[in-house]
Amino acid sequence: MKSLRFAFVLTAAVALPLVGQRPITVTGVRSLAFGTLLPGVPTIVARTDAAKSGQFTINGPHDSQAQVTFTLPAVLTGPGGATLPLTFGGSDAGYSQSQNIGSQIGFDPKQPFLITFSGQGRGSVFLGGTARPGLTQRAGSYTAIITLNVATFP
Amino acid sequence: MYTASKAALATFVLALAATAAVRAQGVNGSISATATVQSPITVTGAQNLGFGNVFPGVAKTVAYSDATNAGQFSVTGQASTPVTYSFSLPTNLTSSGNNLPIGSWTGYVNTTSSTSGGSAITPSATPAGATLSAGGALYLFVGGTVTPPSNLPAGSYTGTVTLTVAY
Repeated sequence: MKSLRFAFVLTAAVALPLVGQRPITVTGVRSLAFGTLLPGVPTIVARTDAAKSGQFTINGPHDSQAQVTFTLPAVLTGPGGATLPLTFGGSDAGYSQSQNIGSQIGFDPKQPFLITFSGQGRGSVFLGGTARPGLTQRAGSYTAIITLNVATFP
Repeated sequence: MYTASKAALATFVLALAATAAVRAQGVNGSISATATVQSPITVTGAQNLGFGNVFPGVAKTVAYSDATNAGQFSVTGQASTPVTYSFSLPTNLTSSGNNLPIGSWTGYVNTTSSTSGGSAITPSATPAGATLSAGGALYLFVGGTVTPPSNLPAGSYTGTVTLTVAY
């Protein structure tokens, strides 16, 4: 009888916070794609570009706040270890509570940014940038990884 | 009762730990950044279009297939990639203010350095399109006909043919 009562108390105490708060998830939806570049010709992708901008979907507790930070690469890496410089401007990232690419709040992807989840506990982060191939840039495919980190406040 | 207190304490600690874990939650997700760099286009004038000696009042033609006298350009760029090309053609060859008219132009485009297996073109009707070979090469050949007037002064006449190629 005692054992049954303890088991009940233990289960209830652990389960309550997990049920009460929706877990945060981050999903990479679309790569930041610069397409075909020519040596010496910088190419800009706007965060509002529906085809080429990078996109993340974030889910979390509705109407709550979280801090997002990017881990940004300085270069794309290509054939034989060749590198292609990549830069991000002060408004190259955008957050949309409605997940509408046309309704973003711009922010600096190099700085932490505070977001508020929608009433449905969703949001989207978009990212643009500039690729700057050199005059003697080696031909080929170049890639890098961009990571979005999301943390709630203690 | 003592056992019950310990169990309650353990429960409390577990609950705190679970709550702390939820509040400290940090997650991340990743995407790729991608780009493809194309080889730049190079255009080289490989051989001049040479009409040689001409006589006043006598037209002279150099065929694009003339291996010695036809003009030749070689192009390099991104393999198997479409390009557009256009010629800038002189109306006359000139010498000290005298003009030697060029009556017509002929041409040929190929992915190998040969005037067979490709396509005849009309240089004066460009821009036109072509596709670089699997090795990223393209060759263009140019011929023409000069029509020296009967009163053309003797001299050395020149003009410039320019080929422009772009992706």
